[in-house]
Amino acid sequence: MGDEYYLELSENPVQFENASSVNNVFFDEANKQVFAVRSGGATGVVVKGPDDKSSVAFRMDDKGEVKCIKFSLGNKILAVQRTTKSVDFINFIPDYPHLEFSHECKTKNASILGFCWTNWNEIVFVTDQGIEFYQVLPDKRTLKLLKSQSINVNWYMYCPETAVLLLSTTVQGNVLQPFAFKSATMSKMSKFEIELPAVPKPAKLSLSERDIAVATIYDQLYVMYLKHHSRTTNSPGAEVVLYHLPREGTCKKTHMLKLNTTGKFALNVVDNLVVVHHQSSQTSLIYDIKLRESDGNVNVHQPVLPARSINPFKIPLTGPAAAPSQAPVPCELYSSSWSVFQPDIIISASEGYLWYLQVKLQPTLNLLQDKGKLMDFLLRRRDCKMVILSVCSQMLIGGDKGNLSVVATVFDKLNQVYKEYLDAEQAYTAAMESGPSRSSTSYKRPVRTQAVIDQSDMYTHVLSDFTEKKDVKHKFIIAVLMEYIRSLNQFQIPVQHYLYELVIKTLVQHNLFYMLHQFLQYHVLSDSKPLACLLLSLESTYAPAHQLSLDMLKRLSTANDEIVEVLLSKQQVLAALRFIRSVGGHDNVSARKFLDAARQTNNTMLFYTIFRFFEQRNMRLRGNPGFNQGEHCEEHVVFFKETFGENALMKQATA
Amino acid sequence: MLMISPRMASGMQEKQYTPSLLSFFIYNPKFGPREGEEEKKILFYHPIEIEKNEKIRNVGLCEAIVQFTRTFCPTKPAKSLHTQKNRQFFHEPEENFWMVMIVRNPMVEKPNKDGKPPTVEYQEEEIIDSVYGSVLQQCYSMYKLFNGTFSRAFEAGGVELLTQKLEKFFYRYLQTLHLQSCDLLDVFGGISFFPLDKMTYLKIQSFVNRVEESLSLIKYTAFLYNDQLIWSGLEQEDMRILYKYLTTSLFPRHTEPELAGRDSPLRPEVAGNLLHYGRFLTGPANLKDPDAKFRFPRIFVNTEDSYEELHLIVYKAMSAAVCFMVNSAVDLSREFCEQLDSMVGPHLTLLASDICEQYNVNRRISGPEKEPQFKFIYFNHMNLAEKSTIHMRKTASVSLTSVHPDLMKILGDINCDFARVDEDEEIIVKAMTDYWVVGKKSDQRELYVILNQKNANLIEVNEEVKRLCATQFNNIFFLD
Amino acid sequence: MPDARMAADVHNKGVFWEVKNGNLAPSDRLRQDRSDSPTPGLVEGTEPGAGQEGAMFVHAQSFEDLTAVSESNTDDNSAEVGDSNLESAQEAALEGGEEESLEAEQEEVGKEEVQSRKKAKEEDVTSETWRSHRKHVFVLSEAGKPIYTRYGTEEALSSIMGVMMLLMSIVEDKKNIIRSIHADGYRVVFLRKSPLILVGVFQTNCSDRELTRELQYIYYQIVSLLTLTQLNHVFQHRQSYDLRRLLAGSEHLTDNLLRLLDRDPGLLLSAVMCLPLASSARDMVSSSLQAAKAKNLVFSILLAGNRLVTLVRKKDQFLHHMDLHLLFNLVGSSSSFRAGEGWTPICLPKFNPAGFFHAHISYLEPASDLCLILVSTDREDFFNLSDCKKRFLERLRRRNAYQSLQEALNMPSYPVSQVGIPELRHFVYKSKSSGLYTSPDLPAPYQGEEELERLMGLYQQLHSCLHNPTRLLRYIYRCADTENLYALVTSGFELYLCFSPLGTKSLAVSAVNKLLKWIRKEEDRLFILSPLTY
Repeated sequence: MGDEYYLELSENPVQFENASSVNNVFFDEANKQVFAVRSGGATGVVVKGPDDKSSVAFRMDDKGEVKCIKFSLGNKILAVQRTTKSVDFINFIPDYPHLEFSHECKTKNASILGFCWTNWNEIVFVTDQGIEFYQVLPDKRTLKLLKSQSINVNWYMYCPETAVLLLSTTVQGNVLQPFAFKSATMSKMSKFEIELPAVPKPAKLSLSERDIAVATIYDQLYVMYLKHHSRTTNSPGAEVVLYHLPREGTCKKTHMLKLNTTGKFALNVVDNLVVVHHQSSQTSLIYDIKLRESDGNVNVHQPVLPARSINPFKIPLTGPAAAPSQAPVPCELYSSSWSVFQPDIIISASEGYLWYLQVKLQPTLNLLQDKGKLMDFLLRRRDCKMVILSVCSQMLIGGDKGNLSVVATVFDKLNQVYKEYLDAEQAYTAAMESGPSRSSTSYKRPVRTQAVIDQSDMYTHVLSDFTEKKDVKHKFIIAVLMEYIRSLNQFQIPVQHYLYELVIKTLVQHNLFYMLHQFLQYHVLSDSKPLACLLLSLESTYAPAHQLSLDMLKRLSTANDEIVEVLLSKQQVLAALRFIRSVGGHDNVSARKFLDAARQTNNTMLFYTIFRFFEQRNMRLRGNPGFNQGEHCEEHVVFFKETFGENALMKQATA
Repeated sequence: MLMISPRMASGMQEKQYTPSLLSFFIYNPKFGPREGEEEKKILFYHPIEIEKNEKIRNVGLCEAIVQFTRTFCPTKPAKSLHTQKNRQFFHEPEENFWMVMIVRNPMVEKPNKDGKPPTVEYQEEEIIDSVYGSVLQQCYSMYKLFNGTFSRAFEAGGVELLTQKLEKFFYRYLQTLHLQSCDLLDVFGGISFFPLDKMTYLKIQSFVNRVEESLSLIKYTAFLYNDQLIWSGLEQEDMRILYKYLTTSLFPRHTEPELAGRDSPLRPEVAGNLLHYGRFLTGPANLKDPDAKFRFPRIFVNTEDSYEELHLIVYKAMSAAVCFMVNSAVDLSREFCEQLDSMVGPHLTLLASDICEQYNVNRRISGPEKEPQFKFIYFNHMNLAEKSTIHMRKTASVSLTSVHPDLMKILGDINCDFARVDEDEEIIVKAMTDYWVVGKKSDQRELYVILNQKNANLIEVNEEVKRLCATQFNNIFFLD
Repeated sequence: MPDARMAADVHNKGVFWEVKNGNLAPSDRLRQDRSDSPTPGLVEGTEPGAGQEGAMFVHAQSFEDLTAVSESNTDDNSAEVGDSNLESAQEAALEGGEEESLEAEQEEVGKEEVQSRKKAKEEDVTSETWRSHRKHVFVLSEAGKPIYTRYGTEEALSSIMGVMMLLMSIVEDKKNIIRSIHADGYRVVFLRKSPLILVGVFQTNCSDRELTRELQYIYYQIVSLLTLTQLNHVFQHRQSYDLRRLLAGSEHLTDNLLRLLDRDPGLLLSAVMCLPLASSARDMVSSSLQAAKAKNLVFSILLAGNRLVTLVRKKDQFLHHMDLHLLFNLVGSSSSFRAGEGWTPICLPKFNPAGFFHAHISYLEPASDLCLILVSTDREDFFNLSDCKKRFLERLRRRNAYQSLQEALNMPSYPVSQVGIPELRHFVYKSKSSGLYTSPDLPAPYQGEEELERLMGLYQQLHSCLHNPTRLLRYIYRCADTENLYALVTSGFELYLCFSPLGTKSLAVSAVNKLLKWIRKEEDRLFILSPLTY
C-alpha cells in the first residue's frame, strides 16, 4: 500500500513565519514569493522565494494594514496596496532613492480590487470599474498610464506564465473577459461564458473565483471551472470543466473531468496532469486530458488512477521549542488552513510551509493494469524513462507476464515516440545542412524528452538481461525480439546490429540454426560487417553460416577486401583471385599475399597456377615476367624453380 | 522455347515407351537367413501377383550384387544395376533394410514391313541414376514421415505390423509415382520459397508466434503461400519431405481455382466482422456439422533423436496455408478446432490479402513477365531453396517442363558431374540442337541455364549468364 | 520456326556422324580448300592434318565401329589375305603348335616386365591396396574360369570371377543383358565377347561406353595373340579349358595395354601421333620404305617410340588404327626386340580376326627408338623381310636421311609455348580424315604419372560427353579448380584444350582460332600428309 501514493509534497518546503495576529502572510504567484509582514512592516517584511537567494528582508513604515504586496519581476520595484484608492511603490533598484511614492487609480470613486505586475516596470490596476495599465517610472517616481478599459468587474484572476488577466463580469459573474499583456501593450481577447449548473432567480453573483483556476496544460492555456454537483442536473457528482483559451480565436469548452463525488475540492496542475484534491475524503485524483484523443466536441475523462491520498509528510520540529530528540510530527494533509495555488503550489499559512506538489510514477505501474494505457500515460510524464523501462522488464519477466500482443502494442507506442523524435532530428539537421540561406523558419534543435526510448536503452535495460533469463522459454524470448524488430521496421527505424546479435546469440544457444537461416534468407536481420563476422564465427558449429556471411559481404558491396580475406583463410586461393578479378582489382593485389596462401595449401599445381598468373601480370604491366624487388617474392621464385625447373619460368619474349 | 518430341516430328510410325515401374520391393536378409526361408526376407513386393520363386530369385540377385560389390569396397555397396532392358536401384535406408526399385528403360518399337513382329529398341542411356536414386530415397522419406522408421514398427509389432504398414502405405503411394516425369528437381528435392518483403515477413512471424503462444498445444508451425514456403518451425530435413507431401499431394487435391494464387485484397469491413475464408485441409471438413467424425494425419519428425509423433493440422485461407503440428498424445477435440478456426481464420484471411497485395506491388515493380531468352533452375544445398523457370507446374501427377527432355538430361549429366567433386565448377556445353546449356556450381549453390541462341558464342553466352545472375541472384555470392 | 528444325536435329543425331569413306575425295579439291586460318566450321578433309592422298587407316570414328560387331569387315578383307593364313591358323590350333610360336617370345620377355608382373601378382586380394587400384580388369571364360587379372593371382580371384559369371547368367536368364553396376566412386562393367567375358572395375567418371571400349581393346589384344578362330575352336573342344595355358607369358602385353589406355590419347581418339619431322625428310624415309617391298609384304611401319614416323601399305589395304595400336603395344611392352630381329605371328583382329600375319620387328639400331615393323602374310617370309630392312637402311644411308631422322628423334616433340598462348597448358588435336593427332609435350605440373593420368582422365571424360550418342555435344567448356578445359568436335576434327584455371572464356575462344592457324602452319611437320603405297 505504502508504494501506492502517487502524489507527494516536495522534500524541502519553503518555510516562513506562520500567519498570526501580528504577522500577515501574502503569496505572489508571479514570483512565487511568500511575504511575511510583521505589524504592517514596521517590524520587518520577510520575503521567501522558491530558492534562498530570491529571499529578501526589509522594513517599511506602518501606514496601515497591508491589503496586497508584490515585487515586480526581478524584485525591482515593490508595490503595496493599503487602501482601495491607491497603490504605494518603493524602489528596490540599487542606488535609486529608497523612497516610497504613491499612485491613485484614475477612475473616480472606483475601488481597487488588486493589481498585478506584467513586467519589471509595468503594472495593471484592477478596479471594480475596469482596469488601468501603467508604466512605472522609478526615477521620476511617477506612473504613466499606458491603456485603460472600463468594465464592471466582480473579481479577477491573473496567469503569470501567459500574462493573461481574467475578469469576471456581469451580474452572475459567469462571463469572463480575458486580456493579454505584452511589453507595454494590452490586448482584449474574446470573452466567453461559463455554463452555470443552475441560473439563480433573481440573478446574483453565482460564479466565485474559488471555483476558477487558470493554468497551462500541454502548452495550452485552460480555464478550469469546478462545477459543483447540483440536484437539478442528474450528474452523480461534481465535475471540472476545462475551457481552452487560445491566443487567437474563441474560447471553447473542451474537456470534462468526472469527479464522481461531491464536497470541497482544490485544483493543481502537475506535469500536465490535472490534480483534484478532495478534502472530505482526504484523497486526490489525477486526470490526463490527452488520455482520450480529442474527437472534436467535449471529452469526458475519468480519473487515470484510483483516488489516493498525498504521501504522508512529516514536519521536523524546529526552533527553540524543539528538543533535538523529538521525532518529526506528521503534518495534517488536506487541512482547512491549506491554500492551493497554480500550478502546483500548496501553502499551509498556519504552519508556515510552502510545498510543490509532485507526481510519483513508480506506483502507477501497479495501479494501472492496462499496459497500453499505462504507456500512453507514462510517455507524457517528465521523468518517465526509468519507469517505462521497468514496465517493459516487468511485462517480459515479471509475474504478470503480458502476452505477445500486449508486448507488441507497448513496443509500438515506444517506437512511435522514438520515430517522431528521429524525424524531428533529421528535419533539423537537414535544415542546418541546407544552410542559413533557406532556414527562414529558424529551426530549433528538437529536445529529447525522457520519453524517447531508443534501441540502446531497450538493449541495456531490458532485452539483454531478459535474454539471459533461464526460466523464460526461448520461444518467448525469440518471439519478443522479433516483435521489437518488427515494430522498429514498422516505423522504418533502422535496427542496430546489436539487436540482431542478440537474436543470433539466442538462436545459436538453442541450436535453432534453421530458423536463423530463414531469418537471414528474408533479410530480417539486415546486413552489416559486424553481423557478417559474427556469422563467420559460427561456421564451425553451422557450416552454412559461411555462405550466409559471404552473401552478406557481397550485398554490402563495400567489403571486397573482406571477401578476399575470408576466401584466403579458407585456402580458396583460386576463388579469391577469380573474385578480385571479377571486380577488376587483380592488378593491385599483392602477389606475395596470394603466393604465400598458395604455398600453404601444399598444392603445387595451385602454386603453379598462381605463380604463372602473376608472371603474366608482370608481363602485362611491365613487359617482363620477373617480380620486382618490392614484391618480396624471391623465395617463391626459388621454390618454383625447385619444383618445376628453370624452363618452367615464363620466357621474357613470348611468341 | 517449348519443343515437341522429336519422335513425333519424325514421320515414321514408331512407338515410344517412357520409363515405367517394373517392380518395387523391400527385404531384410536377416529375416530369412536359412536355406528355404528366403521368402521370409521379403517384407513388401510389388506387383503382388509375381510368383513366389520369381520374387525370391530377384531378391537373391540384389543380395548377390550387393555382396559382390562389397569385395571392391566393403563400405560402399552397389547403388544401381544397369541392364539392357532396365535399371535397378538399391537403397539401404536402415541397417539391413533394403529397398529396390526396378525401372524399365524407355524403348522404341519400330514396325517391320511384311508383318514381321516390330523390333524393340531399348534406350539404355536415357535414365539418369541420380534422378531415380533420389526417387527411391524419397519413397522411404515419405513412408517414414507417415509411419516412422522400419525398425520402430518392427520392434513394436514384429514383421506382421511392419509388412502391414508397408502394404498399406506403398499400395497407394506407388501409384502416385510418375517415373516418366522425374528429373533434376527430384534430385534436389528442394523447397520453393515465396519471395516476400521484410515487413510482411515479420508480420507473419508475429502471427505464428502469437498463435503458438495462445494455443500452447502447437509444437511446430509452417507457413506457406501459393504452395511456396515462407516459414518453417520444423527442421530442414523434415520440412523437405513435408513440403513435398503438401505441394504434390495435399494441395492439388484442394485447389479452388477462383482463389488460388490471386486473392483480391479484402475490404476492411470484411476484415472487421468475423467473416473469413479459413478452412481445414486436414481434420474436420465441416465444423458446422457437430457429429461428423474427423481425424488428423499423424507424422513423425526428428526420427534421428527425439522421434516425435505429431498431429498434422493444415489450415488454409485463400492462398495462405498454415501447418500446425501438435503432439499426437493429446487428442484434438472439436472445441479445439473451433477455437483455432475462430482465432486463426480472420487473422489469416487478412494476412493472406496483405501478402497478395505486397506480391502484386512487387510484381508491378518488376514489370510484366516477358518470355526471356533463357530458362533456369537454381538450387542451394544449404537451405534447399529451389527456383525453376523450366517447370510450369510440378505436382506428383504432372511435371510440365518447357524444354526438351534431352536438354533436361544434359542438365542431369552436368549435375552428376558436379556431385562427384566438392569444388566450385562451371560447365558450358552446346548441344547438337544448338541450345547452350550452362551449369554453375559455387559454394553449395547450383545454377543451370538453358539458352536458345544458336548463333551466340561462348563469350556471349557467358555474358548472358552474368546478366541473369545480376538480375536474379544479385543478392548472393556467386563466384565468377 | 526453330523448334521443328531442332527436333529434327535431335532425331537424326546418329546420321550426323556417319562419315562415309567418301572422305577419300580427289585431293586437288581438298588442296584448294585448305585455308591458312581454318575455322571450326570447315569441311572434313580440309582440316589441318587432313591427308591429301587419303587416309592410311580404315576410317574409324572414335569407337562407333568398335562397339559394332567387328566381324562385319572380316569377310571382305579375308579375301586378300588369302586362305593360306587361315589354314595356318587352323592347323596351328590342331597341332597346338601355336604354343611354341609364343614360347619363342616367352623367353624374350624382358626382366623388368617380369618384375612388375611379380609385384602385381603377390598382392593379397583382400587387402586395401588391392581394392584401391583405379582399374581392375578380369578376363574369364564363359565357364567362369579365370584367364587374366591385372592385380593379384587368378587362383585367388577364381571365386569372385565365378560370381561375375553367375551374375551375368542370372540376368541373361531373363532375356536381358547385364551392362554395369554402379556404386559410390566406382563401377563394374561387364562385356561378353564370346567365348570370353571381360569385367572391369573402374574408379573413374567415364561413361560405361568408354570403359567398354577399353575392355574391347583387351579382348582384341587377346585375339591378336590367338585369332578368334582358334579361340572359338579351343572352347568348342573343351568348355572348361584353361586359356592361360595358351596365353602364359603374354600377360605383360595386356598390362602394358592397360597402361597405354590410361596415358596415350591415341587409343582414346582412335588416332595415331606422328613424329614431328620435316616433310622432306619424312618423304625420303617413306619413299625408301616404299622401295623396299616384297611380294607378301602388306604393311611397312616405322615407329619412334609410340609415335609413327611413316607407314607404307599395299595398295587398297587399310590398316585399322586399333591394329596399329596393338602393334605399338607389342613393340612397346617387350624389350626383347632390341636383342635382334624378331619374327612373330600376329593377328590383326580389325583387319581379320580369323588369321595370323607374321611380323618382322627390329630396331634400326640397338640404341635408337626407331623400330621397323614389316607385316607379311607368309609365315616363311622372315629372310625376305630381313632383306627388305637391309635395303631400306641402305637407301636411308645413301640419301643420308638417317641423320636428320636421328636428330628429330633426339629432340622432344615440342613445347606448347610455341603456340604462343601463355594460359594454354596442353592440347590434343585430331584430324578426323587422316586419323592422325598431334599434341605437345606435357608442361611442368603434369609430368609424373598421377598428374598425367589425371589429365588423360579429364580428356576421356570430355570425350565421352562429346560422343554420348543420345545427347551429342558440339562444345564443352569446363572451368574447375585445377584447370579449365575446352573441347570441341566438328565434322573435320576433334580438339581438346587445357588452360590455366585462371584463363577466361574469351581467351579460350580466341585460342582455338590461333591454335588452328598454328597447326595449319606446322601441319606438314606434324602430320603425314601424303602416305605412300606399294
